[in-house]
Amino acid sequence: MIRGKVVGQVWATRKARGLDGQKLLLVAAQDAQGAPNGRLIVAVDVLDAHSGEDVTVAFGSGARNVLRPGPENRDLLCDAAVAAIVEGAG
Amino acid sequence: MILGRVVGEIWATRRDARLGGAKLLVIRPHGIYEPAFAGRHLVATDDVHAGVGDEVIVCLGAPARASAGGNDTPVDAAVLGVVDRLDFEAARLAAPGAGPGIRRPFTVDLSGTGESAGQAGAAGLGGEARR
Repeated sequence: MIRGKVVGQVWATRKARGLDGQKLLLVAAQDAQGAPNGRLIVAVDVLDAHSGEDVTVAFGSGARNVLRPGPENRDLLCDAAVAAIVEGAG
Repeated sequence: MILGRVVGEIWATRRDARLGGAKLLVIRPHGIYEPAFAGRHLVATDDVHAGVGDEVIVCLGAPARASAGGNDTPVDAAVLGVVDRLDFEAARLAAPGAGPGIRRPFTVDLSGTGESAGQAGAAGLGGEARR
């Protein structure tokens, strides 16, 4: 997973099946110091994160578990999902 | 997922059978997070009938195999959706203490009318307040 900051939202009516009604966020990835590293990610969000909040984003096959946990989720077209909303970091 | 613009289409008759009749699009990514895909263009399958000029969301890596009908398809990039609208707060990145921000956010020019593209551009590059 990576850390990032929510910087916007994407609306897409025409989406792949399984993603209907899912919120898509624009997340600016951060480096270890918390500064944006120039990478923008589109991530599915089921936790209702808002713009300006720090989040962690899960990539790859693990991201599908956010939408539908379990082995039967391989038909989902999703490679990035918000896994947690960061409240504090030490 | 990443954002990108459809810049072309590829026709290929001789192809892996598992690809079936999947449409292949050439995408110019706006930003890329996966080093393996860090090129100027990438080719993605398309299930959502995107066309040249559309801004699209592209799914990368193993999950993209769900496109074109199965887990055994030789696919590593798939168009997941066509972008209607984008709220992008560049100003938030430029806030004090927020670091250097995203260099060159990308041109927000959705495929619709010039008016909507202008609004999206203003919201993105000017950092206007969200509705």
